[in-house]
Amino acid sequence: MADGQATRTISRLIPSEFLEPNLRLYSFIFLLVIASLAFYLFPVKELNGYIDPFYSPTLLVLPLVGLYRLTCYAYRKDYNRHVFKHPVACPVYERMDSSRRKYSGETSTVFKVENLHRYFLYGAIAILPFFYYDLAISLTYSGGLILRLGSIILAINTVLITLYVFSCHSLRSLIGGRKDCFSCMAGATGRKKVYDVQSVFNSHHEQIAWASLIFIVFTDLYLRALSSGIRIDYVLFHIMRL
Amino acid sequence: MNATNADSNDAKAHAPAKSEGKGKRNTRKFKVYREDPSDGKGGEYQEFNVEVEIGMVVLDAITYISQRVDPTLAVRWNCKAARCGSCAAEINGVPKLMCKTRVDTIEGTITVGPMRAFPLVKDLVTDVSSNYETEKLMPEFTPKEGMAVPWKMSEMDVTRSQEFRKCIECFLCQDVCHVIRDHNTNYVGPRHVVKAASLDMHPLDTLDRSKLLTEDDGLGYCNVTKCCQEVCPEHIRITDNAIIPEKERAADNFYDPLVRLFRKVSRSGGARGNNNGNSNGKR
Repeated sequence: MADGQATRTISRLIPSEFLEPNLRLYSFIFLLVIASLAFYLFPVKELNGYIDPFYSPTLLVLPLVGLYRLTCYAYRKDYNRHVFKHPVACPVYERMDSSRRKYSGETSTVFKVENLHRYFLYGAIAILPFFYYDLAISLTYSGGLILRLGSIILAINTVLITLYVFSCHSLRSLIGGRKDCFSCMAGATGRKKVYDVQSVFNSHHEQIAWASLIFIVFTDLYLRALSSGIRIDYVLFHIMRL
Repeated sequence: MNATNADSNDAKAHAPAKSEGKGKRNTRKFKVYREDPSDGKGGEYQEFNVEVEIGMVVLDAITYISQRVDPTLAVRWNCKAARCGSCAAEINGVPKLMCKTRVDTIEGTITVGPMRAFPLVKDLVTDVSSNYETEKLMPEFTPKEGMAVPWKMSEMDVTRSQEFRKCIECFLCQDVCHVIRDHNTNYVGPRHVVKAASLDMHPLDTLDRSKLLTEDDGLGYCNVTKCCQEVCPEHIRITDNAIIPEKERAADNFYDPLVRLFRKVSRSGGARGNNNGNSNGKR
């Protein structure tokens, strides 16, 4: 009797999703804890002209970047399926017990924040130039022009983040999604072209989102490897003076 | 056609075409859902072994069973060309058109059941008429008054809403939607958001149905898991091109203080967003 009451109390306090076997969720929390410890206890902010993407421009903007990713339509699909399991998968045999669990979708107070995704987008666009600045620093820190493996990794990382930001659904709406009549506006053809090109990238937004996230972590690990003394930062060319 | 045991029915499926008659044949096991709600006995899966050929679709096997093996099997189909949407069913748990699902793309036993999001009529036939009732409640196309006839539209403006005209109303998206299927909400479902988007994005339409979708039709319950987009036989990008744009328009109307402020300031300019889906008095 007492056990049953305790179980009920626990289930009231902790959302049922957290009590289910969910390796993806647990591994995400594990990575979050390990990454937080690494960032604060072993910071690698700057190394030989490289600036870690997690610290660009400062670790303080990480919550903004995190909220941008958390409210992203691509990530919403993933965590609604694999963390909250609403639904766990499209085949109806895989539904498990979602019909017996409470569901409020994006109508609850917390999830209404997702409607402000565009504001986090504005923040992400504001941060974007810092990545290009960091890339420029990595190429010129020696006083001349130096191209190293790390700069190429930073460049790929910067391009992927740029593609991720500019393939955003909210940006698509901003460019033309909310317009029903392109031909009624000034510069109609140009704006429609921009919308169409953005739509092409937007159709790959999920893949780009994952690619950029993985590459940010990879870049961070690469710079940590360098800071630990592993000599893998090959120099492709070096012009001493510009 | 020979029955090999009391519980199963073996059938040699009709060859789809003479030219394919020499194709490789093999016997596949089908588990078909059987239930007649009027007798109150509940439902069960009945096994049939059907000899199939390369190129056959699930509908070939099901119609063969219903025509040659067990005429009491109820199945609805019409065009067999993925144009009418009548033969929508759940094949191995995935909502699909039976006429568009090749048997040789599925391994092992093929389980065929009705769309469980809708009331069952019999066996594989469901009653999808509630969708037509919901559709009647959607504010219809409302052009500006006093436009010169004939109405003119630019090609660049109609391409977006044209995509939604491909919908064949098979209602697979409604069936796969977990909000409709698993939860008791007022969400109207992906098909109806597509309908709203097709009208909202029409260059001559004057209404904004995202307000209606948000306030009365439970758009907020959709958590963009894209199952509807995955099952659409017409490959309409339901979530990307209809649901998310409607959610963004709803964000404009309800959650974005800057947009609301901007609209308030420019209201005298006659911004379209001020029109409400309720304005035709249908709800």
